[in-house]
Amino acid sequence: MGGLRKRDWWMVFLFVLPVVVILLAISIFPMVYSFYLSLCKWDIGMGGQRTFIGAGNYLRLFSDARFFNSLKNTGRVLLFGVGTQFALGLSLALLLNRSFRGRSLVVTLFLLPMMISPVVVGCIWKIIYHYQYGPLNYLLNLLGIRSVNWLGSGSISPYSIVLADIWEWTPFMVITLLAGLQAIPDDLYEAARVDGANRWQIFSGVVFPLLRPVVIIAILIRVMDAFKIFDLVVLLTMGGPGQASESVAFYNYLTGFKYFSMGYASAMSYVQLAVIVAIANVFLRSFKGRAVV
Amino acid sequence: MRRRDGVTVAVFVGIFVLLAVALAPFAWNVLTSFKDKGEYFTYPPVFVPSSFGLEHYVRGLHLGGAKGIKDSFIIASLTTLLAIALGSLAAYSLSRFRIGGDNFAFWILSVRMMPPIASVLPLFLFFRFLRWLDTYQALIFTYALVNIPFAVWMMKGFFDELPVELEEAALIDGCGRLGAFVRVALPLVAPGLVATALFCFMFSWNEFLFALILGRSRVVPITVNIAGLIGGHEILWAEISAVSIVASVPIIVLAILLQRYLVRGLTLGAVKG
Amino acid sequence: MRKFLLFLFAFVLLASVAYASPVKLVVVGDAGHNLKPFEWYAKDLKEKFDVELEVIGVPFGELYEKEKVELIAGTGAFDIMIVFPKFLAEFAANGWLYPLDEFVAKLDPKLDDVTPGYRDFYCKYGGKLYALPYDGDVLSLYYRKDLLENEEERKAFKEKYGYDLKVPETWDEYLDVAEFFTRKAGEKLAGEVLQRDFYGTAYYGQKDQIFAWWGNIFASLGGVYFDEETMEPAINSEAGVKALEIMKEIHKYCPPDVLAYGYEELKDVFLNGDCFMVIQWPCVGKKGADPAQSKIVGKIGVSHVPGVKKDGEIYYRAMMPCGRVLAIAAQSKDPWKAYQVIHYLSVVTSLDDVSTPETGLDPYRYSHFAHPEAYEMFANVEDAKIYLAGVQKNMEKGYPEMVLPGTVEYEETLGVALTKALTGELDPKSALDEAAQAWRDILERFGKEQQKALYQELVKGWKAVGLW
Repeated sequence: MGGLRKRDWWMVFLFVLPVVVILLAISIFPMVYSFYLSLCKWDIGMGGQRTFIGAGNYLRLFSDARFFNSLKNTGRVLLFGVGTQFALGLSLALLLNRSFRGRSLVVTLFLLPMMISPVVVGCIWKIIYHYQYGPLNYLLNLLGIRSVNWLGSGSISPYSIVLADIWEWTPFMVITLLAGLQAIPDDLYEAARVDGANRWQIFSGVVFPLLRPVVIIAILIRVMDAFKIFDLVVLLTMGGPGQASESVAFYNYLTGFKYFSMGYASAMSYVQLAVIVAIANVFLRSFKGRAVV
Repeated sequence: MRRRDGVTVAVFVGIFVLLAVALAPFAWNVLTSFKDKGEYFTYPPVFVPSSFGLEHYVRGLHLGGAKGIKDSFIIASLTTLLAIALGSLAAYSLSRFRIGGDNFAFWILSVRMMPPIASVLPLFLFFRFLRWLDTYQALIFTYALVNIPFAVWMMKGFFDELPVELEEAALIDGCGRLGAFVRVALPLVAPGLVATALFCFMFSWNEFLFALILGRSRVVPITVNIAGLIGGHEILWAEISAVSIVASVPIIVLAILLQRYLVRGLTLGAVKG
Repeated sequence: MRKFLLFLFAFVLLASVAYASPVKLVVVGDAGHNLKPFEWYAKDLKEKFDVELEVIGVPFGELYEKEKVELIAGTGAFDIMIVFPKFLAEFAANGWLYPLDEFVAKLDPKLDDVTPGYRDFYCKYGGKLYALPYDGDVLSLYYRKDLLENEEERKAFKEKYGYDLKVPETWDEYLDVAEFFTRKAGEKLAGEVLQRDFYGTAYYGQKDQIFAWWGNIFASLGGVYFDEETMEPAINSEAGVKALEIMKEIHKYCPPDVLAYGYEELKDVFLNGDCFMVIQWPCVGKKGADPAQSKIVGKIGVSHVPGVKKDGEIYYRAMMPCGRVLAIAAQSKDPWKAYQVIHYLSVVTSLDDVSTPETGLDPYRYSHFAHPEAYEMFANVEDAKIYLAGVQKNMEKGYPEMVLPGTVEYEETLGVALTKALTGELDPKSALDEAAQAWRDILERFGKEQQKALYQELVKGWKAVGLW
């Protein structure tokens, strides 16, 4: 890699400065304010008095069974949801990484689930998942399979949400990985083939190593976003039955905007932040991808 | 030769099946947009609506759908441009010069990690102070908080993928850093740029919570409008479907226009010369 | 001197302009058909009160938070607010609402005409009037009167249970009827073979309002929310546990996905003809008369929710979840004009508004119930009469949600506990004990003394009406 020449500094500086300025300007107040709130007791329901209580909210979080339940549910989405999205997305991207007539159309069609507003995705799947009147159970019945209690069973409803999430976000993986595959020069494939490598060897030896930076980013972004899963939970199950499918973001929203315990909600947000930062850190460190070749 | 054909067929079948699965719910959405009351939840499920009239589309757009699409379009376009322009510049520096090391890059990403719920009230107060409540700029900059780090990291990934040799060659040819960036690096990551732009646009288009709280009456993005169709005692399913379909048209058009850059031919690698 | 005259002239000009231009008031409410009256009468309101309205619709599920965020920040963006009564206490306690008593003397809102539930529980706080009713939600019992009158079914019922099939008036009868009418596909119903399973009943299973369905039973057994002296939660009392046990019994005769049921599902299962009876909001009766939405037009009977037989009389209480009232923001630019507007809607035009199919507003005045002919959605006046008579019975014995700050949290934690008992995760007593503990925690956080004072105010009002 080229070293940094003196006269490059202006360019580097100018390139990075705007980003820093904007991000700082907008994020600094929310970060500071919400951190301060997390150290306060502020239940706006009654007269709105804010009292400083130090780590009280955090202590309360650690004995909050409902919070850990929501963490568990969210973890399920991360594991099964993002995992499946990646596997499916990679397979599809590989399938689409060849020239054929109508490929543009097909790629656009695959993008569709992502283009619809999450609110609407929730509405559609709510209709599809309806036990009595939904098309999914109807088709299952035609195949001789008993109706599934998609949304009314505590053990199934979390997975119904995961399924809808997979449907909605696999396109992200497909497009990102496809764009990454596109950047791999053709000659490398040729060279490998000339050397007698078979399909799998080409993939593991040439394609995957080059694709790694993009894979890491794609999974990282999805993990970060899946952690915030909210719209689907609200529209499909409202976290129900009971608390069976409550996600962290959903519980956080309830606490902050329905119960209006702003202090507690802020503390919950900071704990979430810590968890995501930890996950991202671990992820980035163990899969340290560098530009190869 | 024959084996090749077998694989190709399998590939196409695979694509077809996955496409069918991916599109089935979407097809259901389209069907729903034509259904009348009493056809949404009934047995057997209505696969073919009784009429294919466009009254739900008209009604949905009339109930604020048109304004919603306009507002969302303005906000999403501007915030995407902002994110792409600033983000790819920063990403290039991060990728090539490792500015600030990993920590700086991570800080940028971490801005996006903050759960939105914690930021809603502070941002509301912040924009109120700036007298920016119920304006486009409030949402444009709020989404920038999410889009810029996203753009930076996505583009960094794509830049990382590029072998440095190409730019070195350009530099040796007397190009200058900026020239290397503009004439060599950028065109090569064009698919990534397009993908990132699309995602930024989609995210901003589909965001709900900030759109709800920071808007009021002058700025009512499409997501808030659609949510408004979910009434307490009356859910306008057909209008929801209709408006969502109309709302996805701009994005579809955008995607089609950008197809050229998103999915390039495999002759790409020959640039090496 | 000239300067002074110039100034005076400018002042008079400006003043006349300001005087001439109508006052602009901002109305906020849940988006959709319930805001239509504000549009319909825009011209009338302009002529009569010189007022222009800007109507802002907010998604129903987020109305509370939107109003709250703006109120907390004190933006003064809203003048007239549609409020769900359960939040009235909270908004009033924080001083965000304008007390209306001073206006009542000038312009009478005819509160005596309002049924006790709404009049006393949903418009007042701490003895003061803060809102006028707009939409009267109450739970009623809807049943298939055609199946009830069917000879075959009547015979079979009499054989099995020993008494004539009738509209259930007690919870025991409710269970008998529900059990009787729960049939699998292939069995017969009213002489026809069923293609699909038929259920005795169903209820609202989502945790935000499931408490109301338990509440009907709980209240009829004499249950109270808290002990008013000690503020000990009384939801896990004998009445509470018994109510939950009855609910578990009811659960057996409901569709398998009933715990996911919200408003839509509950309405659909009944109007599609897949269950015998439901306890539901008033709109089901209205929608049931619309052939486009209902497969059982003309077959719907309406009655009071079941209760408990006490001293020869049926003691029942109907919960009133949701509902809407019109309130005025404390920061409003012109409270008097705002009051005139809400008065117009709540008194003058209210009959038109609740009897038209164009809105989802439901009756809440005695005068509303006295004019069945006004209800356009019913094919004939007879159907309207049946509907109104049934709903009125419930309105007269309306049992309020607990209107305190923190209501949502109380209701939801109770809902979670109820769900745990219904799925079998916990037995009823443990589930309610868990809820009671959660309630104790909420109480502590909100300040026991403050909550107690407010609660005692509520109880005073309830006792004055003979509610308990």
